[in-house]
Order: sequence, then structure tokens, then C-alpha cells
Amino acid sequence: MEMQILRETNWKGFEKAIIIGSVEVIKLVKDSGLKGRSGSGYPTGLKWEAVAGQKGKKYLVCNADEGEPGTFKDRFIIENNPRALIEGMAIAAYAMEVHEAFIYLRGEYAYLKSGLEKELKKSKKYLDKIDLKIRIVLGAGAYICGEESAILESMEGNRPIVRKKPPYPAQAGLYGKPTCINNVETLANIPLILTGNWDKDLALFSISGDVKNPGVYELKLGTPLEKIISISKPSPTPKAIYFGASGGCLPYKQFKDLSVDDKSFSENGVMLGSRTLIIVGEGRSISEIARVFAEFFVHESCGYCTPCREGAFRILEILKRMRDGEAHKEDYILLSKLAPHIKDTSYCALGKTSTMHLIGAMKYFEDDFMKLCK
Amino acid sequence: MSKLSDLIKKYKTGECELISILEEVIRSEGYISFERLSQVSAELEIPLAKLYGVATFYSFLPTAKCGKYIIRICASPTCHLKGSKDLLDFLKTELKIGLGGTTSDGRFTLEKTSCLGQCDKSPAIMINDNVYTNLTKERLREILGKLK
Repeated sequence: MEMQILRETNWKGFEKAIIIGSVEVIKLVKDSGLKGRSGSGYPTGLKWEAVAGQKGKKYLVCNADEGEPGTFKDRFIIENNPRALIEGMAIAAYAMEVHEAFIYLRGEYAYLKSGLEKELKKSKKYLDKIDLKIRIVLGAGAYICGEESAILESMEGNRPIVRKKPPYPAQAGLYGKPTCINNVETLANIPLILTGNWDKDLALFSISGDVKNPGVYELKLGTPLEKIISISKPSPTPKAIYFGASGGCLPYKQFKDLSVDDKSFSENGVMLGSRTLIIVGEGRSISEIARVFAEFFVHESCGYCTPCREGAFRILEILKRMRDGEAHKEDYILLSKLAPHIKDTSYCALGKTSTMHLIGAMKYFEDDFMKLCK
Repeated sequence: MSKLSDLIKKYKTGECELISILEEVIRSEGYISFERLSQVSAELEIPLAKLYGVATFYSFLPTAKCGKYIIRICASPTCHLKGSKDLLDFLKTELKIGLGGTTSDGRFTLEKTSCLGQCDKSPAIMINDNVYTNLTKERLREILGKLK
């Protein structure tokens, strides 16, 4: 089946944008219903409008710091249709009157940089038309840089600590100037919105884990969980589905029929986010999976606030005790207190979501933990 | 003119970010030595403490001497499900080092890393700037052989 995101627009979207003018472009994007595809779900047209309304120097940053464990859909776009991304950036820049744009590419994707640069060279005549310069900035391995204000700090040469908002980047972003930050998938959809025939319900899903056919799938939001997962041919039968490291988890059997969309997910205490599905098969130990996630958050906590920094460390400590057969029931009780506490009191979204996986795991798979406690 | 001094010049005119300068040091020297950091600090007029704070934040900007090839094994849950632990144990035995260690000939350093975004081709590892996917012990042995 042909994927919408791979459709070639050959700069026709950009050409149309220039004909209809920036005000109409923003209106079109607003009316299209496109929402940020990074997981935030913020309406793209509104973001553009906020930046377009500001005077003076402004910036556009493409967030290509795809770090959510189990997520690889932006990589898929950069590998298979980089032109759509660059055309989308050009349209965005034109609409907001931006002349300096950046692609913040995660260090893990350093090998994709030369391909992107080649595509940028090929696009020169279009970019020159609107006096737009696009530069690639390579990250250096930090999950927090997926957060939009941490990217800005990183680009400014500071430790990438998340900024307090407001002010939002649309008012004061890179070097204090109005800045629009959009995800790769969000921008790659823009040319199609201009050329027409764009389906707003189609989005990319990264599916991996205990499945025979892991990969990026383009599916309609609102499809039942079972149908989405069956495409990837799970084996053995799924036990739990994790929505990245930060979206939480659900037991498969009970939630097979759940509609996969933001609303029904949040009603069930999980986040669809960047549409990442990590499938964990029957027979796997959920406490072991929890430990793998806990190690991730110990590594990626920036250290700025206490609940996230110390909490992540303590959680890992307890999960390791469980693995080593040294845990007691009190450890489990402590774990069940710590997890919501970290969620409630951490400074930024990284900390606040760092125990989502554990809260879900303890709610649905208590036995997997308790049987390891004396 | 060396690539580094070229980037430092560009930094001053706003055409290059600090992180790219630190990455260039890694590319040419393998790690960011105290001497190099002091030199960059003086040239950019950025306090050494601040530079050190930035460099040590990132996983890919080591400030201590490490091997010519840094092997980073993906520690994501997906790679875990696909047997990354076996690969890690294999590498430890093959290279006779632990996590964070460097071989005595200075060739390899072994580390874990956060998700590499190759979950459709896991297990995966990264060696310097390159990614290797769908790994088995046999393939790993082959890759190591070519790098020796």
C-alpha cells in the first residue's frame, strides 16, 4: 500500500504556497487540523500563527532528536523522503517570514547527516527564492534534547535544561527571538496539505518488540489496538504494550479493542505520544522490563530536580534488589509510593512521565513484582 | 587552517554552535582533553567550568581518554527483548573488558547507550558515527575483525 508520507510533491506544495501567500498558507494549515506529531499534539497552524505575528528576526527549528525508546518514524522519513521534510520547512519558513532555520539531528543519526545535506543542496534554488538558510546541528546523545526548550539551550551552547514556560518559544525562543519548533513528521506532512488529498487521520506508528514484522506503519488514528498490532505479526501472544518509555503500558488482553487515539488513551491513564508500540510477549517478566526502563531514566535524568534525579536512582535500586532476590514486600510498597510522587513533583515532562511505565506495570502486573519479594 | 579553528571562527560570526565545536574535537582526537577544553575556553571566551558542564552533559562527548572505536550497545527495551544482553556478554568476553572499559591496545571502548532508533532492525550498536543492525555474534565478530 502506498504511504501518504512517502508521496512525492516535488516542490509543488511550496510553489502553491508562494502563489496563495503566507496568510492563506497559515489558514490552510490551521483548517487542515494538523497537530504536532512529536507527541505534544499542539495544533501546528496555531503555533505558526503565533510566530508569524511577531516582528523582527525569528527562527524555525526542526526537531529531529527522536529519542523516545522504540521510536524510529522520523528516521524513516529522513531516510525515505527527506525532500518532503525540507519542502515542509521551506513552506513553514515562508509562512512565518523566517530566513534562518535549523534541523537538530540527534547524534545517533549522525550517519543520516550527509544524505540530508545532499538534499539541502538539491533544494537550493527553492530555498534561495525565499532567502532561507537551513543548517543541520548534530546532537550528542541526550534524550532531554527532544524537549523543545532543551533543544534551544543546547543550540545556544548551554547545558540543555528545560526552560520554564511561559514565555513560550513562539515569544522568546532561540537567542530570545520568536522560534517555531516542529517535529520531522509534522513538517513532512505540510507539502501534502498544500497540494491537497491529505488525510489528517493517517499517522506513523513505530512497532517493535516481540513481533515478526517490526517497522513503521502508516495507520488511521482510531484503529483498534488489536488490529494495529496484528499487522506486525506478534509472537508469542502479547502480554503488555508499552507506549515508548514515557507513555505507560497496558495489558494486551484487556485492551485489545481500545481505539488507538489520544482521547481514549488518556481516559485509560496512558499517552499515545509519538505513537510508539513496544510489544512484550507472554512469558516475559514485567519487572525485568521495568528495570530496563528505569536504567534508561537514571541515565537520561538531567539532574536538575531532586524527584527525578534521586527518584529514578532509588527505583532502579529496588528493581535490582528484586532481580537479585533481595527485595521485601516493603520495597514494593516504597516503589508504589515513589512512582506517583516522582510523577507529581518533577520539574519537567521527562521526570513527570518517567514512572508512567512503572505505574501501569504495578497496576496490571502486580504479581510479576510481588513474587520477587520476600 | 584546521577544521577546529575554522569552526571557532564560524562560532564567532554565529555560523556554528558550541556543540559542533566539541563534536569536532571528538572526531579528530577521540575525546576532549583538559588541555583542549582550556584552549577552546580561552578562544571562545567561555568559562572553563561552563564548557566542562556542557561537555559532560552529553553521552557522546567523553572527557576522558577512550578507545579509537567506541562501541555503544543499544540498551533500549526492544534491543533487550531481541537479545542485546547476549551481545554485551559476547563483547565483554571477546574484548576482555567490562562496561566503560577500554582494551589495553587502546582500540575499543565498550559502553551502553540509549535507544538508537533502529528498533525495526534490532539488536543494534553504534561504533563511532556508524550504526550496525540485525546483529548476531557472528556478524559482530566480523565487524570487530575489520576494525582491528
